[in-house]
Amino acid sequence: MAIPTNESVYSAIALVFILVTCVELCDAVAVVDVYRLIQYDIAGVPFGSRLASLNHHAGSSLYTPGADLSRTVVMIPVAEVNITFIREYIEQKQPLGGLMLLLPRIFSPENKDVKYGGDEDPGKEQMKNILVELERLLLYANIPYPVYFAFEDDSINAVLADVKRNDVSGQPATATTGGYKFVVSAPEPRKLASPTITNIQGWLPGSKADGDSNQLPTIAIVASYDTFGAAPALSVGSDSNGSGVVVLLEIARLFSLLYSNPRTRGRYNLLFGLTSGGPYNYNGTQKWLRSFDQRLRESIDYAICLNTVGSLDKDLWIHVSKPPENAYIKQIFEGFSNVAEELGLKVGLKHKKINISNPRVAWEHEQFSRLRVTAATLSGLSVAPELLESTGGLFDNRHFVNEAAVVRTVKLVAESLARHIYGHQGKNFKIFADDSSYAVNPSYIASWLDLLSRTPRVAPFLPKNDPIIMALKKELAEHTVEVSLQNEVLDGMFTFYDSTRGRLNIYQVASVTFDLLLLLVLGSYLIILFSFLVITTRGLDDLISLFRRPHSRKVKST
Amino acid sequence: MTVFHFFNCAILTFGPHAVYYSATPLSEYDTLGTSVKAALVYLGTALVKLVCLATFLKVSENDSFDPYQELLKALIGFIDVAGLYFALTQLTHRNISQNHKFQAVGLGWAFADSVLHRLAPLWVGARGLEFTWDYILQGLEANANLVLSISLAALGSLMWLRKNKPKTLIPIIYACAGIVATMPSITSYLKRGLGWHFPEVVGFELFTSLVMAIISWQLFAACQRPSS
Repeated sequence: MAIPTNESVYSAIALVFILVTCVELCDAVAVVDVYRLIQYDIAGVPFGSRLASLNHHAGSSLYTPGADLSRTVVMIPVAEVNITFIREYIEQKQPLGGLMLLLPRIFSPENKDVKYGGDEDPGKEQMKNILVELERLLLYANIPYPVYFAFEDDSINAVLADVKRNDVSGQPATATTGGYKFVVSAPEPRKLASPTITNIQGWLPGSKADGDSNQLPTIAIVASYDTFGAAPALSVGSDSNGSGVVVLLEIARLFSLLYSNPRTRGRYNLLFGLTSGGPYNYNGTQKWLRSFDQRLRESIDYAICLNTVGSLDKDLWIHVSKPPENAYIKQIFEGFSNVAEELGLKVGLKHKKINISNPRVAWEHEQFSRLRVTAATLSGLSVAPELLESTGGLFDNRHFVNEAAVVRTVKLVAESLARHIYGHQGKNFKIFADDSSYAVNPSYIASWLDLLSRTPRVAPFLPKNDPIIMALKKELAEHTVEVSLQNEVLDGMFTFYDSTRGRLNIYQVASVTFDLLLLLVLGSYLIILFSFLVITTRGLDDLISLFRRPHSRKVKST
Repeated sequence: MTVFHFFNCAILTFGPHAVYYSATPLSEYDTLGTSVKAALVYLGTALVKLVCLATFLKVSENDSFDPYQELLKALIGFIDVAGLYFALTQLTHRNISQNHKFQAVGLGWAFADSVLHRLAPLWVGARGLEFTWDYILQGLEANANLVLSISLAALGSLMWLRKNKPKTLIPIIYACAGIVATMPSITSYLKRGLGWHFPEVVGFELFTSLVMAIISWQLFAACQRPSS
């Protein structure tokens, strides 16, 4: 009876010790947040990183001679990336265990304190160029191994320095020195079933003159809010198109002030639309417009789409798809350029015809134009971006967006809209002057820019009631009426896969050789101990006879 | 590969006990039963110790060295000595000589201690991917502990079982037994009070265990002489 009680005591005590050691164990391993390169198909053709789970030794360069790269995770700080070499490596489909790209700390969405040097910092431009090229390369490649992004910090820098030292000394990670092992345990990425896109709209109804039975004309202000980038969990798109969303919200706020007073309520309805699916040929905008009835669509006087308007060093362009001679276009452009002149800005006009047979929709206004609604896009980009380009890539974060530029754009758009609504074209007439009660509020703009710059918004990974969608809806509801959400399914061409982020465990490991050596040492230690004990307790003769005995037995048996 | 490492550490931790048993005359006289009984006594003692520690000791938030608490801990540590006393004197053994009895008891004692304190951490930790020296050091510590346990058992058998020992040696025996019995407190002081690192502590333990082993061996031999 005594034995079972003792055993239960033992197991209880053992359990306590297991718990204690578990706590200690977790401290010994470095754990880092990592963000996976996007994995997606366009019309069945695979792109991006096709694997998620990682369990390999760490290396520091693709050049290492003699190392088995197919079982190595190469980690490279982005600043030291040699684009041409990596491009060759990927295009030749050479084997690799995995790729870990280290981004500077300032690219972390959580990071707000560290400021990048001034705007003129040459390193900033250079870093941006590297990231743009790298992103383009990774997005359009089919990479059969996991690719992760991580942020540089003290622990990972220490690991990198160690790995580099090992590589330089010519001993890759699998030799006697041991080294580091990178482990990301993730399940096989699964296809996202029918990703949804959510459009948000709100109205500011104008006032009808008494006895006027005609429907009021409508002006639409539209911005797409979702993003697309190499790492979906990092794609915050502060400029593309966070800046457009912020401008739209501020305009909604300003006009709601004007429209709340019956005397300053205009004779136009204002329609605000935050659309999704922007990177995918403005799929959300298309669905949104299709959902309007004919009368509403015809009542739209014109639509202004806002895109990438948060950069000070770029001029603004108005992109249209009707010829500039068109009366409506002329009117819009003149309205904008008059105000721009007063603000000391330059606004250019760009005309790009639509090719109906081409599925590519480069600008949001083209979706309106396809339905014969007059529309223009105001953008800081001078040429139409390619598919999945300028949609909120790795570099596109808070540090590359200028609040002053956003304020400037708000003034430009709001002022020219107001002049159109109240019929003051061509007059120097400031409603939104800085000292008036309708002044643009820079802190409101800054706080929304900060929020959007912390929130990745890749549409397939945003559930229908994601906090950011709810926040945008609530904000629009503060200023406008009849706010509604429209949920649609993203059209077929794109397929996305989940597992966008993971946790990287870094282990310092000993190699097999070390364990073999250890076994050897321990074995000889035990043999020496045995011999010593036998000699001291029984004498040398006993020890010798121990070794003789099996021999003599053998002789007997044979 | 990591199971390999676990295997290595297990050899280092538990191997010497087996080697000790098979190399010395213990195996010839089949004293395994005595060792098992001693191990069971150790388990009981450990339980009593745990209860005492839980009752009398406050849980300190920080790792600092509190003399009063440590004194209490050292006193509770003497429960070990009581357990050993029980194992040496009260247990009915088969007719084995005192010479083998203390070795068997010390071996069983040390083995139970290793199993209880080191097997679970080893199983959980050494199989993990992360490599640390800790488990190898822990194995060395188990070796030192084996030597200390056998020394303590030897001194205990001198104190309690041998009647006709030289009078001059009695204080030395008691002093040595006191030192060996307070070893856990001493190492705890080195670790917490002086901030020694684990390798240094293990080195100290190995060194003192060897010194104590030689001293107790000499004492045992000195006591053996007049009787023989």
